Formats: sequence, structure tokens, C-alpha cells
Amino acid sequence: MAVLEVKDLRIRYNRSSPDILKGVSFMVDPGDFFAIIGPSGAGKSTLIRCINRLVEPTAGDVFLNGQNITRMDGGDLRRARRDMGMIFQEFNLVERMSVMDNVLSGRLGYVGTFKSFLRMYPKKEIKRALELLDQVGLGDFVNKRADELSGGQRQRVGIARALIQEPRILLVDEPTSSLDPKIAREVMGMIKTMSEAFDVPVLCNIHDVQLALEFSNHVIGLQDGIKKFDGPTQDVDKNTLEEIYAMEIL
Amino acid sequence: MKRNLNKQLEEILSKRAKSKVTRYTIYFFAFLLVAWSIQSTIVEDTDWERIGGLDTVVNTVAKFMPPDLSLFKHLIGPTIETFMIACLGTMLAVVFSIPVAWMAALNVTPSKAIAYPIGRAIMTLTRSVHEIVWGLIFVSAVGLGALPGIMAVSMRSIGFISKLTAEAIEDIEPGPLEAIKSTGANQLQIIFFGVIPQILPAFIGNTIFQWDINIRRATIMGLVGAGGLGLAFHRQLVMYNYGGVTTVIIAILMLIAIGEIGSYYGRRAVQ
Repeated sequence: MAVLEVKDLRIRYNRSSPDILKGVSFMVDPGDFFAIIGPSGAGKSTLIRCINRLVEPTAGDVFLNGQNITRMDGGDLRRARRDMGMIFQEFNLVERMSVMDNVLSGRLGYVGTFKSFLRMYPKKEIKRALELLDQVGLGDFVNKRADELSGGQRQRVGIARALIQEPRILLVDEPTSSLDPKIAREVMGMIKTMSEAFDVPVLCNIHDVQLALEFSNHVIGLQDGIKKFDGPTQDVDKNTLEEIYAMEIL
Repeated sequence: MKRNLNKQLEEILSKRAKSKVTRYTIYFFAFLLVAWSIQSTIVEDTDWERIGGLDTVVNTVAKFMPPDLSLFKHLIGPTIETFMIACLGTMLAVVFSIPVAWMAALNVTPSKAIAYPIGRAIMTLTRSVHEIVWGLIFVSAVGLGALPGIMAVSMRSIGFISKLTAEAIEDIEPGPLEAIKSTGANQLQIIFFGVIPQILPAFIGNTIFQWDINIRRATIMGLVGAGGLGLAFHRQLVMYNYGGVTTVIIAILMLIAIGEIGSYYGRRAVQ
């Protein structure tokens, strides 16, 4: 069974503006590493944000493990969000908190409000955070404040924060755009390794075609809100790319 | 081509001449306004017959010297009281400012139609009424003493602290909020982990600054019966003990200096 199923997703920010997504459908299976590629403004980011409802879709359905997320609200939606770890372009760490607290914030959906205010996380979750930070190579930075880290290190904190949620899927939004090419490849490699180690599929939007082809096993090509390509990475050739990026010649 | 250029030149020159006329007209009316203000408020309104020469000024100043040091031990209590009025007033203001700032920050307000205008109204109202007026109101409400002083000082501070805090909230980075939201956190957790860490330094800085100002405000609260050094000042003045007045002023200056120094180092520490 597919982990994530997106059916005819449509979005428009307000009545008068054109649709950002014009009916996109696809399925992510266990073990998949999906890359969503396409020119700027194609709707890649909007698509990812629609899945955990940071952006509200206008029409269509998103199923995570068979449950329809677009019909949920309140507590149900929050519980569904726990199952989706998200990694951001700008890392989106809480700058003035320690690395440890940033990672632990991935558990907020599980900890009661009052306990979280007192930073009373269960001991096993703190242990888990330490293990994850070791795995992403930040074992020596546990007590540093997030704003003391470099870009690559911050993104690794972001990865640990997403993984401590024990997600069913990783939503990754342009993880490398704020990083230099060398670090970008390292970060992509880490996401790939971790997704295999934790057996969690990845849906990653990325404008760097080179990295997309290198790390994914499946590619979705978006152009102007329409799915232009959906297939295994090895089927992507020069013609496919030209079709997806046709708009950019303008 | 050449004629065209000349025409343009003419146009520019005439425009400049026109703007010159406007400018001098404005100067003229501004001068008239100032002259009229001086005439009506100073020339007509001053009791010129009672104004003395330089010698009277010197004599009056001399009355305030030397300071009456015997008063000093009686000022310790009021000085501490003044300091406490400022501290407790600021703390009370902080407590009230948090919900007001939350209501009046566009990006986190629980409702733009109801809570936002209420928050903004509280801000404007508390800030636009002078602390002495708040003091009079609270003295008539709860009687004489330090309590009305504390209330007056805190009322005046609510507007300032909540306004700056609301502005800080409106300026936060939306990214971390999104990240916290996408972990499945609830609304309170989003505010606690996404908003508060981002505004805390500004909030503490503004509070310390306001505390410093509140020390000044607390020193005059006694003039309307709301406790502290102001009361001692008033008593010395009505007893014509000008040396004592000087002593009270010295105590006030010392207290303000302490506030100033504390505020400087406190705000430097949070930056």
C-alpha cells in the first residue's frame, strides 16, 4: 500500500488569482525517494506544504496511510502532522534555543503543553535526541545555541528534529538552496542515508536537477502547476528535462 | 531643437520662481504664528510686576542652600518605597502587557475583528493618560499610600511595553513557527516555542527601559498622595524648608542614577 497518496490536488490562494496547482496526483511507496523538480514558480513548495496543511488546498485529497488529511482538523490534524517530518530550506530552527532543545521540539506533538513549557521531556526522548545528534555528526554541539552553527550544521539539526518525530514520511523543501554545492551534496547524502536507516520514504522538492537525479529513485516534474512527468529516475532523459523546463526559456 | 530646449529652461525657471514664492509665504506665516504665540502666552500672561531682577533669582536659589542633612535619615524609607513602587509597578505592567500584546499583534491575535481593536485601544488609552492623572484616579479609588502609586505607574507602562512587544511579535521570522507547527504542536506550544524565544531579548530590554523611566515617575507620585519621595518633597515645600527640599532632590537624583546605571548594564546584558 502506498504511504502517501495525493489525488487531484488543486490550490489557489484567492478567488481571482490563477491556480497554483492544477490537479496533481501521485503515490509514494515505502522505500521511495521522490524528487519533485521543475522551474521556479511551478508550485513545488506549495505542493509539499499542502501535504501537512501549512497551506490549505482548495480541492483534492491527501491520504497518509489511508487516512484523509485534507478532511481533518484540530487534534486529528496535529496527530497527523506528527507522522510527517519536515525539513526546510531556511532550516527554521529556533535560533535562541540550544541544539538539544531544537531537536526535542520535534516531540512537541507528543508531550503535553504544560510539560513542554517546563521542558520536561521523557528521559528516553532526550536519549533518543542524543543518539540522533551523534548520527548526524553533531554529538559535540548538543549544548550550543542554534545560531552558533553553520548552515550545514543547522540543516543537520533540522534533519534530527524531523527524525525524532518518528515520521512515516519526510517532507523536504529545498534542503540545499541555502548551502554551498559541497555541503548541499553532503546534506542530501545524509537525508538519503537516514531515510534508508529509518525506513521512511522521502518527498523532496529540489530545483538542482543534478542532485535530484543522483539521489532519487522517482521523479515528478512540475510545470506551472501541472504534472509533466512521473516516473522512475532512470527514465528521465534530456527530452523530459527540456519539456519540464520549457517555460524557463522565456 | 534649440527652441525646445529654451522652452524647457523657461519652464524650469518659472517653476523654481513659483516655489520660491511659496516658500517665503510659508516662512512668513510661520513667523506670524510664533510671534502670536509669544504675545498671547508670555507677554500677556506673565505677572510682570512681580518679576524681580537677577538679585531675587540669586536670593531664591540661595534659600535652597545648604541642604538640610538632618532630614537624610527620614528619607531612607521613602526612597526604598519609591524604588519599590517602580519595581512592582513595572512587574504588574509586564503581567498585563502580555495579553494586550498578544491581542494587538496582527500575526498572532486570536481575532482581528474583536481582540485586535481592544488591544490597540488599551495601548492608546493607558499611554495617553499622564501618570499623575492615573495617580489621582487611583488615590480616589483606593486611598493614599504606595498602592495607588504602583497602580498608576503600571497603568502608564502597559501601553509602552505592550506596544513595543506587539511590534516585535509582528516582526518575527515566520519560518520557525512553520517548523514548530509541522511537528504537530498546538497553538500554545507554537507561541511558546516559535514566538517567545524570538521576542524575549526585545521584551526584556523594553521592560528594563520602562523600569528606569518608572523610577522617575515614582518620585513624583507622592505629589498626589501616592507614596514615595514625592510626598517628602511636597511636605518640605509646604513647610518652606527649602534646605529639606534640596535634600529630597539629592535623594531623587541618586535614585535615578541607580536606575540609569542598572538599566544600562541590564540592557547591555540581554543584547
